[in-house]
Amino acid sequence: MIHRSTAVKALIGVAALLVVAACGSSGSSSSSSSSSGGSSGAPVKGGNLTFAAVQDAQSMNATTVFDNNSIWIFEQIYQTLYTVTNDGKGVKPLLATSYTMSSDKKTYTFTLRKGVKFSNGQPMTSADVKFSIDQNRKATQGWAYLDSAISSVDAPSPDTVVIHLKFPWAPLLADLSIFANGIVPNNYGGETENQFYQHPIGTGPFKWDYWHKGSALKLVRNPLYWEKGKPYLDSVTWTDVPNDNTRLLQLKGGQAQVDQTPAWSTVASLKSTPNVNMFLFPSTQTNYLAFNENVKPFQDVHVRRAISLAINRNALVKAVLFGNGKPANSLFPPQVPYYQKATPGLQFNMTQAKQEMAKSSVPHGFTTTILIPSGNSDYLTISTIMQSELKPLGIKVKIQQLDPNTANTNFQNQKYDMSLTLWTMDIPDPDELATFAVDPKSGAKSFFTSYNNPAVVKATHQAETTTVPAQRQTLYNTVQTGAANDAFMAFLYYSPYPYATTSNVHGFFVTPLGNMHMEDVWLSKP
Amino acid sequence: MLIPVAFGVTLIVFFMIHLIPGDPARTILGIHATPQRIAILHREWGLNRPLISQYLLFLDRILHGNLGPSLYYGVPATTIILQRLPATLWLIVYATVIAVLISVPLAMIAASRKDGVRDHVVRVVPLFGLGMPPFWLGILLIYAFSITLKLFPVSGYGSGFFGHLHAMFLPALTVAIALSPVVIRSLRASMLNVLGAEYITTARSKGVPGHRLFLRHVLRNAVIPAVTVLGINIGFLIGGTVIIENVFAIPGIGQLMLNSIFERDFPVVQGVTLVFAVMVVLLNLGADIAYATLDPRVRFER
Repeated sequence: MIHRSTAVKALIGVAALLVVAACGSSGSSSSSSSSSGGSSGAPVKGGNLTFAAVQDAQSMNATTVFDNNSIWIFEQIYQTLYTVTNDGKGVKPLLATSYTMSSDKKTYTFTLRKGVKFSNGQPMTSADVKFSIDQNRKATQGWAYLDSAISSVDAPSPDTVVIHLKFPWAPLLADLSIFANGIVPNNYGGETENQFYQHPIGTGPFKWDYWHKGSALKLVRNPLYWEKGKPYLDSVTWTDVPNDNTRLLQLKGGQAQVDQTPAWSTVASLKSTPNVNMFLFPSTQTNYLAFNENVKPFQDVHVRRAISLAINRNALVKAVLFGNGKPANSLFPPQVPYYQKATPGLQFNMTQAKQEMAKSSVPHGFTTTILIPSGNSDYLTISTIMQSELKPLGIKVKIQQLDPNTANTNFQNQKYDMSLTLWTMDIPDPDELATFAVDPKSGAKSFFTSYNNPAVVKATHQAETTTVPAQRQTLYNTVQTGAANDAFMAFLYYSPYPYATTSNVHGFFVTPLGNMHMEDVWLSKP
Repeated sequence: MLIPVAFGVTLIVFFMIHLIPGDPARTILGIHATPQRIAILHREWGLNRPLISQYLLFLDRILHGNLGPSLYYGVPATTIILQRLPATLWLIVYATVIAVLISVPLAMIAASRKDGVRDHVVRVVPLFGLGMPPFWLGILLIYAFSITLKLFPVSGYGSGFFGHLHAMFLPALTVAIALSPVVIRSLRASMLNVLGAEYITTARSKGVPGHRLFLRHVLRNAVIPAVTVLGINIGFLIGGTVIIENVFAIPGIGQLMLNSIFERDFPVVQGVTLVFAVMVVLLNLGADIAYATLDPRVRFER
């Protein structure tokens, strides 16, 4: 007979383990029951902010990396000559304080801010600026194309930098504001490029601490930062928490102070959760339905217009964004300079859709496929809704889900009929998007659609070399109206950046381009 | 045994991952991919060479202890894998310990009164653990113990030995709850088997007290088949930690494997597979050794 006491003793052992584990280490489950709306008075210095991010960063090399999670982190380390304004439509001086432009508009002379030091104590000079911009221009696989109008950079004196252009170039300041043109020490301080980016140095408010890949990346305050009194935080730690539910629970449990992109379905309940602030920052993100004009019948403008007219964008906003967004009317999002509010982007109108189909080359409909990456529930929802919306036109849509890498490859090789895609701006100027989206010779082949409207292409090129804002507005109006009438893509919706923070976080702000200035953030005492 | 198995596994995985469509260069470049940029990255990574020569390069590197560079992170794959391995090992070992601590007493309780109420309860209740999806169970446990009761951190790995013990308890428990039902049942069955044996009757009639009877005679004999069952299940576990690591934000190699496949980070996928293969073989070896230690008959047969 098995002695019962032995069994009991063993169970006590399990209970003991439970107790040991529970009392184990210092509770990191600090209570977040700070009174909401506490003191939004003077900023408080100190504290560590934990930022629960959707995925890990990839690399700190600003000239080659396209991954947002990396970018939003190293933007706290390196700074640029000019930076994006809070409304995302312009630039303001940062490491440069002013500039003059020659009368032929091909030479810009920048005056650098005095008293700026790198986090290792060395003063920033024009030699560092020249090196950094030249490095970006040389990067063969990264952002060099934004500096393609630059013919050379000179450093005539320690606080003057001269940039020579090949031709007048309106987006220059906007291009200089991109993180890829961030200022790093001359010659990487004697290290190789790869070595340098393992522990990079910049003039920004935070400096390198460590990166445990897949787990956490930590930056600490730069005591030599030139903006007096900032940063307020002692450190910021970005943690890799891929699961939406877990990030949310971390926020509620006080383990993280910022939840990056909570699921749209949770936004409403977060808005009414005490001690949590739910932000929906205006963004430059636009979602589109792309038509491959190399595949029949999408070369027919009536087919494209019919499909675009049959899509109920309000239904999409409700189903996918849970109401947190609005239908798109233009190729450009409202947060971009030269956005035309009156752009006639097609909206839901079944009568007109049927009329367009009747005028088209396939009045009785056809069968086609929509390509989306698997595992993306938003895209699947959109595709399913579209499937039923296009049926009345006689268009049978098959949904093809491929693994994300394959789907992306096929899209970029134009092996698709229709596909869902999106864009967010990298610079506060429409040039980057315009050339990418409507110029068939731009390497992206008009956003991989092969769309070609010579008048629209011409307007795009002219807008690059005109520096008069009113003229640029007229040209970009032509681009937007043309793109809308040609319906080369169906513009679906604009969505904001959702961020949830605990209520003791102050000063947290995200520009429409996604930049965050963590030097403005402070934590009030619980 | 180890070498041919590891070799075979890497061969299969190498060709599988290279033959599925998709390109690590496109992962890195995203929407900014152009044919020129892709070609540059391919040349840098040696992906423009024939598959066979890439495989031979891979083998050559392994023999020198080098798994190649992570295409996504740009640092050696070995570094990343070694950084992430401890978290998964913690999860597996911790889960096994908890599973054993749960299973042994419960099996004893069940076997002590066959077909009694206790027996039925112990046989049925753990089945819920087997049926519940781990990600759901994990979130529930987090909600109950981390948010409401604030006993444990919501997720993550913690730091320091006691930090790990604290932070990994819930994830390990989630895994153990799924692991235990099978172990309980097999242990109970073998205990009942042993209890009916003649040497037990002999020992009882000699007056061996219940305590010693259990430890010396019953458990030692009953545990042998259970060790095999446990060993096999842990083998499955090694590949199955991905979900738990995702839910609990544990920086382990399960998540690393998943992300690397999506990113087509070939060297890391190959490296992690090699590690998995080695772990499973070592585990089976360990089970064999445990078997031999517990059962002298096996020892002397050799």
